[in-house]
Amino acid sequence: MRNRLVISAAALVAVAALSPMFRVQTAASSQGGTASRQSSTSKVPDLSGDWAPDRTRGGMGQSLSLSDIGGRKRGNEDDIPYQPWARAKTLSEKTSTGPDPRFDETTDPQVIYCEPPSVPHIYLWPIKTKFIQTPEAVYVLYELGPFFRVVWLNSTHPADPDPQWWGHSIGSYENGDTLVIDTVGFNDKTWLDQMGHPHTEQLHLIERYKRVNQNQLELDMTIDDPGAYTKPWPSHRNFALSTTGFLRYQQICSVRENQQFFDNTGKPAVGPRK
Amino acid sequence: MQNNLRITRFVVLAVGVGLLLASSRTLAHHGANLYDMSKAVVLKGTVTKFYWGNPHNEVSFDVPDEKGEVGHWVAYTEPPLVMLERGWTRKSIPVGDKVTVYIFAAKNGSTVGTLNRIVLPDGKELTAYGAPGAPAPAPAPK
Repeated sequence: MRNRLVISAAALVAVAALSPMFRVQTAASSQGGTASRQSSTSKVPDLSGDWAPDRTRGGMGQSLSLSDIGGRKRGNEDDIPYQPWARAKTLSEKTSTGPDPRFDETTDPQVIYCEPPSVPHIYLWPIKTKFIQTPEAVYVLYELGPFFRVVWLNSTHPADPDPQWWGHSIGSYENGDTLVIDTVGFNDKTWLDQMGHPHTEQLHLIERYKRVNQNQLELDMTIDDPGAYTKPWPSHRNFALSTTGFLRYQQICSVRENQQFFDNTGKPAVGPRK
Repeated sequence: MQNNLRITRFVVLAVGVGLLLASSRTLAHHGANLYDMSKAVVLKGTVTKFYWGNPHNEVSFDVPDEKGEVGHWVAYTEPPLVMLERGWTRKSIPVGDKVTVYIFAAKNGSTVGTLNRIVLPDGKELTAYGAPGAPAPAPAPK
């Protein structure tokens, strides 16, 4: 009888070790977070496909401000709750694009140093996004860079994450139709968008991706940065399913190529004709 | 004045294309402060180089005037990743082709600018910044 109980216990441990839930929890622990309970019956929405900014629904705006997606009121938008320093910082920046571009003297670090734009800035580029969904993580691929993010499922943030370009992202599925991504641990070296809106290391970004139909994906964001803004504020991007292919060309930033481009087409146009 | 006259020698027709950057839905564009985005200058010339790469493609072409002087022009487009969606490839504009170029030229009169569109010897038109031709969204499900 005792031998049967021992054998049964061993079998139970063996089965548990092979179960997907156990493997997921183990993976989460290896990433610096601790495993948290996740319903094993949550429906996983299908986010497959290549998602391009939807030109027909404002997908190419340069600003995260929903009241001023073109950036014409930069620094004075109705829906961005600036702290005074953040407003001043925004106004001090020289954008390379938008309604008042200063290509020859831009302060955009992505343009000057080829640094990663991070999120949500990367969604203001004319590039496609792709989601690779696995049980342990969602891998978000971008044509620009090419960069990718890892969104850990069944996980929590480290207690004290290192500030990094893309932060630390965890995710979950909500209502059977939405991927929720929660990111902290950003460094403060990037702009939130093409209009130079700043953020600090306190940025807490929440993204909600919902496939509203076969061909349309919507992203609702909450930008929560008590170091730069007086309260969280929302933004939104629309995406359309593309059928023309992903990463057909590697859009890689090269300081050398940027300089060549400026020498060929920018420098001659600056100041009086040379 | 001299710069304006020099441009005039090469201009066949100036086409007004509207304030495209006024639209909040216009594609991001670098350098618009350096070029006259309110109208495209039309030039006829010969392709000397076609750079297909990042950060932007560049079409180099020579434009002679009636006195035989040659202007060396460079017009840039969005990068390959974007232009592939418009049907461009790295072989779209062969060196030696005689082309008609619509360009948003530099405000200071230098022979550089942003390409609006280009017409190839066989009449095929390749569109670039500010021109129609953005890829259509995927069809709605039936």
